[in-house]
Amino acid sequence: MIVLYGDPPGTGSSAIPLPTSIPVMIRVHGLTKEFQDTGGTVFRALDNISFYVRPGEIFGLLGPNGAGKTTCLRILSTVLRPTRGVAEVASLNVMKDPEGVRRRIGFMSNNTGIYDRMTAHEMVTYFGRLYGIQEDRLQARIEEVFGILQMHEIRDRLGSKMSTGMKQKVSIARTIIHDPPVIIFDEPTSGLDVLVARSVLEAVEALRDNGKCIIFSTHIMSEVEKLCERIAILHRGRILADGVVSDLVAGHDQPGVEELFFTLIRQHDVERNIEHSRAAVAGTA
Amino acid sequence: MTPVGYRSAVLGWKNIRVIFLREVRDQLRDRRTLFMITILPVLLYPMLGLGLVQMMLTFSEQRRTVVVLNAEDLPRAPAFLSESGVDSRWLEDSDDGSKLIVVTDRQPPTAPDKPAGHHQGPTRETLLKNARQLANHIQRSVAACTDDGIGHRRFAKRAAQNQQLAEDLSSLFGESGIHVLVLVPDGYAESIRTVRTRLRDSKKLPGLTGTPGLLVVRNSADDKSVVAFSRLRVALENWEFCLRDSIFKQASLPEKLQHPAGLQWVEVARGEQVAANVWSKLFPAMLVIMALTGAFYPAIDLGAGEKERGTMETLLISPARRVELVLGKFGTVMLFSVTSALMNLASMAITGQQMASAIGAGVADTISLDFPPVSALAWIVLLLLPLAALFSALCLALATFARSTKEGQYYLTPLLMVVMGLIMFCLSPAVELAPLYSVLPVINVALLLKGLLLTSVQTISLAAYTVPVLVSSIGYCFLALWWAIDLYNRENVLFREAEKFDLRVWVWQLLRSRDAVPAFPEAVFCFIGILLLQMIAMKFLQPDMAGPAEEVITGMLQLICIQQLVTIACPAVFMGLVLTTSLRATFRLRMPSLTALFSAIGLAVLVHPLSVELSHFLTEQAVFPELPEAIGRVQSLMTGNQPLWLLMLIFAVTPAICEELAFRGFVLSGLARGGRLAIAVVVSSIMFGIIHMIPQQAFNAALMGLLLGLVAVHSRSLFPAMAFHFCTNALALLYSRNALPVTADGLFFSRDNLDDIRYGASVLLICGVCVVWISSRMIRDLIREQKIRRRGEMERYVDSRTTATAM
Repeated sequence: MIVLYGDPPGTGSSAIPLPTSIPVMIRVHGLTKEFQDTGGTVFRALDNISFYVRPGEIFGLLGPNGAGKTTCLRILSTVLRPTRGVAEVASLNVMKDPEGVRRRIGFMSNNTGIYDRMTAHEMVTYFGRLYGIQEDRLQARIEEVFGILQMHEIRDRLGSKMSTGMKQKVSIARTIIHDPPVIIFDEPTSGLDVLVARSVLEAVEALRDNGKCIIFSTHIMSEVEKLCERIAILHRGRILADGVVSDLVAGHDQPGVEELFFTLIRQHDVERNIEHSRAAVAGTA
Repeated sequence: MTPVGYRSAVLGWKNIRVIFLREVRDQLRDRRTLFMITILPVLLYPMLGLGLVQMMLTFSEQRRTVVVLNAEDLPRAPAFLSESGVDSRWLEDSDDGSKLIVVTDRQPPTAPDKPAGHHQGPTRETLLKNARQLANHIQRSVAACTDDGIGHRRFAKRAAQNQQLAEDLSSLFGESGIHVLVLVPDGYAESIRTVRTRLRDSKKLPGLTGTPGLLVVRNSADDKSVVAFSRLRVALENWEFCLRDSIFKQASLPEKLQHPAGLQWVEVARGEQVAANVWSKLFPAMLVIMALTGAFYPAIDLGAGEKERGTMETLLISPARRVELVLGKFGTVMLFSVTSALMNLASMAITGQQMASAIGAGVADTISLDFPPVSALAWIVLLLLPLAALFSALCLALATFARSTKEGQYYLTPLLMVVMGLIMFCLSPAVELAPLYSVLPVINVALLLKGLLLTSVQTISLAAYTVPVLVSSIGYCFLALWWAIDLYNRENVLFREAEKFDLRVWVWQLLRSRDAVPAFPEAVFCFIGILLLQMIAMKFLQPDMAGPAEEVITGMLQLICIQQLVTIACPAVFMGLVLTTSLRATFRLRMPSLTALFSAIGLAVLVHPLSVELSHFLTEQAVFPELPEAIGRVQSLMTGNQPLWLLMLIFAVTPAICEELAFRGFVLSGLARGGRLAIAVVVSSIMFGIIHMIPQQAFNAALMGLLLGLVAVHSRSLFPAMAFHFCTNALALLYSRNALPVTADGLFFSRDNLDDIRYGASVLLICGVCVVWISSRMIRDLIREQKIRRRGEMERYVDSRTTATAM
């Protein structure tokens, strides 16, 4: 049995044949998301994007601000509904079984807040209970996670009294408390100092080593080069390129990911401007 | 790969409990919430009460100045003044004498420079000088008013009419330092003596009516003057009574002559009834306000606060369903709302009781503010629950809509103001629970509680209202809760980005990015515009009732026509032209099928008897207040001698076109744009009801609006709705003119006392069944269409999957 993953014509790479012996944890196909403002104007945040992620790999979602990264990840975490297309996590459709999907993912971003009036232990316990983990198993898991993240010192500290680094640790603990097979990181290091960012990246690597399927969204190129096996470059809601990092760099004849990123973005913007000019000329004619 | 330690797929109430407990703990750790819920009521009322009592005591202990000019001319027996001031015999309370500083122009035994106890005020000489100035001014005023020896009493009337004199006198009095001035006319004692002597000798009293009396000058706009005057007035009346009594005795006249009417007062109010009267005013108001305030802050924190902290997204990603999130939060807000209301009421009741006893101590008829009976307390708790639930759900919904706690306060403050307005309405003694009020939110609970706390009202009659009050309150609560859950399912609400509003950009976008049909806000704006224009028309487009009857009737008919065209049709058509690209789509200007057209006409004919009997039933049960006079005039037009074609044109054709263009055209198209047809039809029918203003018409119109909306969305055309509307109005017109081709056979049709045709139960049953059958078929068709559309979407989804996956 062969699974074909491919972009519609003209939107990215061609169909990729994959043997079914390689399990796929996240599958996105033809995903489109449109927003409508109060005036009725439609804005297309995602335009027919497709990609897949396997277990034990870190998939980088690379793009400038406003590219549609967060929208894509919010759809995968079921807080947004797609306008068109398919998104599956652990073979569960985000539209058909959102609760099932949510149980199988952990989501962390730089702006996922923590409760000021709760201690680290209370917060992690709260989310553990929401994930339906049995009480005895939960306490053991909390001890395990607190040990891994070295959080015992801040166990009874209120959220309002925590430093940024501590808050990030609590966020990671909350994200992985239910030991999800899929973990989504949406710009987790944005706005963090070097030390805290490094500890976050180390946590991500450790999770990958444990066989987790990770989507890592960022616009920091060094993080991509350090962490990701495969990437997709997203711009204005479209995937401009996706694949193994080294293959993409070599295929586009660029010295590194950063150069590849800028080249693709610039090329896309130029093409877009030409298209707009043609459309304007056709309209006046 | 399976995640660890899951119990079961269905979490339900356990999740709600987890969320509820977390939110409660979180709120209890919030100092602001704790302050509002517990500390404020526990401390505020006692402090406020103590402060008030202290203020009252402090205020009453201050001494006020009374100046008596020409005091030598007061009668010696009975003497009004003693050495120390007003004789204690005349005062209501012996302490009152020490609260009045009486300054007279009599030579005191030891003339002090300052009145006793008056440390900061003007000296005695200054006061007397000012008093004389005032007296001179009054005399000059008297002279200006009349030259025929006008009396003091007549002067008082004339002076009041003379603005300039009154202003001068007022300013002089204000600057004088005197709180009450008593002017004793010259020869006053002598004139009293003359009266005594003449009465004793049974002689006639020539010119007695012209005898000048005491003139008391005060300023009722000045609290100090009011207090001094109230004490002095009691003393003067007591003194006058004693004087009159002695004169009557000297003249050997019977005592009863002093009170020819022989009035006697009997007080039947018991102590607990007085208390009940006080509580019936305070408790409902405080219950409503505190239930809302108690929900206000927790709701903002749990709704908007969650967004502001960035924890909302974290919560949404947890496996808890949206409904579980809302119910957990709702339970928390409701708990704090109920606790806040009960804490406030308890604190207020205890403080009120303590205050009453503190103020009443030493007074003969002690004020009693006993607690309401246990049954009333049980009612308070019972009624508080749906009320708190309604407020909690509303506050949570509005707070969820807000992006920040600051914005949440902006949204919730109008709610607080609206509720305050409703409470002010309920506090009016004239407003009592009635069928209409028993189903209006907030008002129903406040009025029922008000009635229940008043022991003088028969509770049996009120008991009948408990069912509609409770049922409607619970209904509103569920609606509000449903709204909150709906908002939690709307991604544009949960992830609203901060918008910088620029009017120019907004207008430009509005005009540039037009769509075939209007947007939801445009439909709402259209309704608000129509409503405002209707209000303006009601105020300014009044028919001239002065002319001949024919002209008045013609004028009224013209006004009705103009009102329909200008206030209803024009805004909708104008907005359609400016804001949409397709008038055809917006106003549903499609040719309907003949079946749809005849179904609408048939439905209108079938609805008519039901509508007539419902109106009669509601009128007989006095559910709505009586019709205003203006509506009576319009109804008389329908039954008058005007030609039928003209009346048909004005009452059937014009509304069928104008109102349908607006409400089933622009408004319904805009409301239904999101695809929620049921909500769009219900909301448009409520709007349609509201613009009819008068409760009877509004109720009927809202019901008709439901059917009209159903007909319009089912047929996708405005014309069947117009036909329905025309037929309904035409039948109502013919009915009111008694021109329907039916004869009273006693079985299907009969005539009532007013010679109106009444429809029998069999007609109503047949019509009711047919209306339900036709409507249900229309609803079934619409549901089927939606299913087909969904199936189409599903097929497209499967297609896209098949394209992606090759086996």
